[in-house]
Amino acid sequence: MPSLTYPDAAALTKRLEARLVEGLRSELTATRRSVLGGLGLAGGATLAGVGRADDGGHAGGQDGSHGNFGAVGEYRDLEFDPHEYLRRFNTGRGESENVPQDVYEEDGRTVREFTLTAVDTTVTIAPGVEFSAWAYNGQVPGPTLRAVEGDLIRVHFENLGRHAHTIHPHLRNLDPSMDGVPTNGPGVLDTGESYTYEWIAQPAGCHFYHCHSLPLKEHIHRGLYGAIVVDPDPERVSERPAEYCDAHPSQITPALSADLVAEAETRNHAHDANDAVDELVMVMNGFDTNFDGDNEVYAVNTRAFAYGVGDTDGEGHWEPGETKHPIQVDRTRRQRVYLINAIEFDPINSFHTHSQFFDYYDHGTGLRPTHATVDTVMQCQAQRGIIELDYASHDPGLYMFHAHQSEFAELGWMSFFEVI
Amino acid sequence: MTDSTDGGTAAPRIDRPLGLPRWAAAVLPLLLLALLAGGFFAATPFASLDAGGEPLPDVTVSHTTLPDDETVILHVTNNGPDAVTISQVLVDDAYWHFEVRGAGGDATLAPRERARVVVPYHWTPGWDLGFALVLSDGATVHHTLVAPSESPGLTADLLLTMAAIGLFVGVVPVALGMLWFPFLRTMSDRWLHAVLAFSAGILVFLAIDAGIEAVELAERVPGAFEGQALVALGVLGAFLAVQSVSAWREARAEDGDARAASGLRVAYLVALGIGLHNLAEGLAIGSSFALGRVSLGAFLVVGFMLHNVTEGPAVVAPVARGERPLIRHFAGMGVLAGAPVILGGWLGSLAYSPTLGALFLAVGVGAILQVVGELRAMIGRGGASSTALNLLTFLVGLVVMYATDLFVAL
Repeated sequence: MPSLTYPDAAALTKRLEARLVEGLRSELTATRRSVLGGLGLAGGATLAGVGRADDGGHAGGQDGSHGNFGAVGEYRDLEFDPHEYLRRFNTGRGESENVPQDVYEEDGRTVREFTLTAVDTTVTIAPGVEFSAWAYNGQVPGPTLRAVEGDLIRVHFENLGRHAHTIHPHLRNLDPSMDGVPTNGPGVLDTGESYTYEWIAQPAGCHFYHCHSLPLKEHIHRGLYGAIVVDPDPERVSERPAEYCDAHPSQITPALSADLVAEAETRNHAHDANDAVDELVMVMNGFDTNFDGDNEVYAVNTRAFAYGVGDTDGEGHWEPGETKHPIQVDRTRRQRVYLINAIEFDPINSFHTHSQFFDYYDHGTGLRPTHATVDTVMQCQAQRGIIELDYASHDPGLYMFHAHQSEFAELGWMSFFEVI
Repeated sequence: MTDSTDGGTAAPRIDRPLGLPRWAAAVLPLLLLALLAGGFFAATPFASLDAGGEPLPDVTVSHTTLPDDETVILHVTNNGPDAVTISQVLVDDAYWHFEVRGAGGDATLAPRERARVVVPYHWTPGWDLGFALVLSDGATVHHTLVAPSESPGLTADLLLTMAAIGLFVGVVPVALGMLWFPFLRTMSDRWLHAVLAFSAGILVFLAIDAGIEAVELAERVPGAFEGQALVALGVLGAFLAVQSVSAWREARAEDGDARAASGLRVAYLVALGIGLHNLAEGLAIGSSFALGRVSLGAFLVVGFMLHNVTEGPAVVAPVARGERPLIRHFAGMGVLAGAPVILGGWLGSLAYSPTLGALFLAVGVGAILQVVGELRAMIGRGGASSTALNLLTFLVGLVVMYATDLFVAL
């Protein structure tokens, strides 16, 4: 392959991107007269600048036909940063500017108060590819909420979208009117309506919330979902250890109990033991851009290949991109991934690590692994769990992780840890 | 009529066939047929052959209308020989509420019956929806609604918009093309014939284009209406209708009506053919508009202008010889050729159906083909029609139309 000059490469990149974007546009039947409409749409898109790809491309390396991962170009919309989203937890202490929140005591219970607003917006799902989304507080996935077992989560919800929405939490909810479904409590909230949901944070674990309006597929897949992390309360764990593992109360030894409490402390954000753990939220999602009931783009945290390498020559030389770069992890800390499957249209999704085995806690409701020492886990729609990773003895470098449905991986759900 | 014109098959006339009054003899076969058919129903002679097989249900969704952003109306037709019942409706693979209107108060459609399935669904403009009607035997009828947008109601605003579009796409370009008339008059016979051949090329291309379009559209016509046969009927019917008008003028010309003998007759026929074609074009624009798929982008209108401006000289070429027709004739021909775009636009945006669209396109094809024959005869009267120059300009006409077509169908 002759080496390309930079302008040539940039031009080629642009062409390829244009083709990708074009391919993602919904096809109109191509009789001459219906093309009128297509022409109009295309004209409109050109005028509005929708789907314009950016210029910052690199030439494929010496062997571009084998070694390059992922989509061409960088992300230009910097409003949402998937790298920042990974470690952004809202506990009521004002961690996010776009999420009004507060934390206070009420009747001896900690209350964590959040304001969530459903809006219609556009999110970037691949370089130069826009997706019309419905989003809580303008981001997909929605803001990550974090509380401790037994807290009250109070959510002021306002709907500013053109469709009716709700918030349905995957928590143990004792009041049916707070379930956020069309049949209960306030039902669906039309444009301009608001409601305050109150949920008790239970059980401990990795959970999530989503809109439960009909049609359900559409309301979830358009982006109305987000993570809820409920930290275990170490005191409660020491009182009822059997609820946090699969042992019968008669089998609980002092050592096991102490072990469970210690694990609970690493999970609880109010404890120092938690500071030693690098915690990451990963929501696996997909996007149907052409209304055919099948996803064209797959990702963790919305953006295809956002945790991929920027540029590689397929011979071990790589450079991080501005917006597409691996997740840097420190070997001296434990990594914990709160993994949630928010996919639509595909029954299952998966998470696979290269050169690494991990412990998996299904739903995160227990403090003992449900799958110990595995390198692949499968999750059905809405299933989630906690993954504990340890790279302490690995050499520094790039370690891939991705869905082990190869199709999903090559359509965007492909990532790297850069171990340093 | 004095001399026999039937090739000698006529026998001497009989006043009382079979000894009956004439009217009775005419009705007798029909009477016997009715008896025979009644007998078949009464006797059911094929009952022993009935293996109990059910004919498959055959239901078509001809088109959809969206009166507001919370309603989708599917227009369905039962083409099959048996009644069908719409038991459930799926929207994007989810069971959904619906109501069947216009089927006599229930959800059962008799053979050939048409009805509206009204679905209360909050759709989003531009986002495709997949519908499936589940019939009582579990069979499904699928329909994809591409890029939905609200159907325009009958408003003065819409009529005005369609008229404006029609004016710029139809009338104005044809009128512009007719401005070549003075130039055409300065040409030698040889070149004028070449121009007429060029016009024929333009018309033939339009016929091919609309013919393909009609056949494509016919596939979406509900089965009971036999789309392909309807297209064939439209082509032949229009051809024969224009031919008979032409023959009538011919007869009058022989009777010494000077006006009928002139090129003006052919010019009007060309204008009529192009007008019928443009009616279909307007219908298509109107229906795209109704489906919310027409952008009023200037480049679109310009594309159509370029395409239609070539129709102008085709109309006026036949009158380039002899005395100049009155201005009102030019106006008349321009309107006849261009204004149907407006009419078609109104029809298409208000009462669109694939059946209507296919029929109109076919009528355009038939009319054009007949007009091509007229042009050929006209060239033939002034000398050899198949000269190298004429064949070449005929080809150029085809190519020019194809090229301008690209402006409309990128």
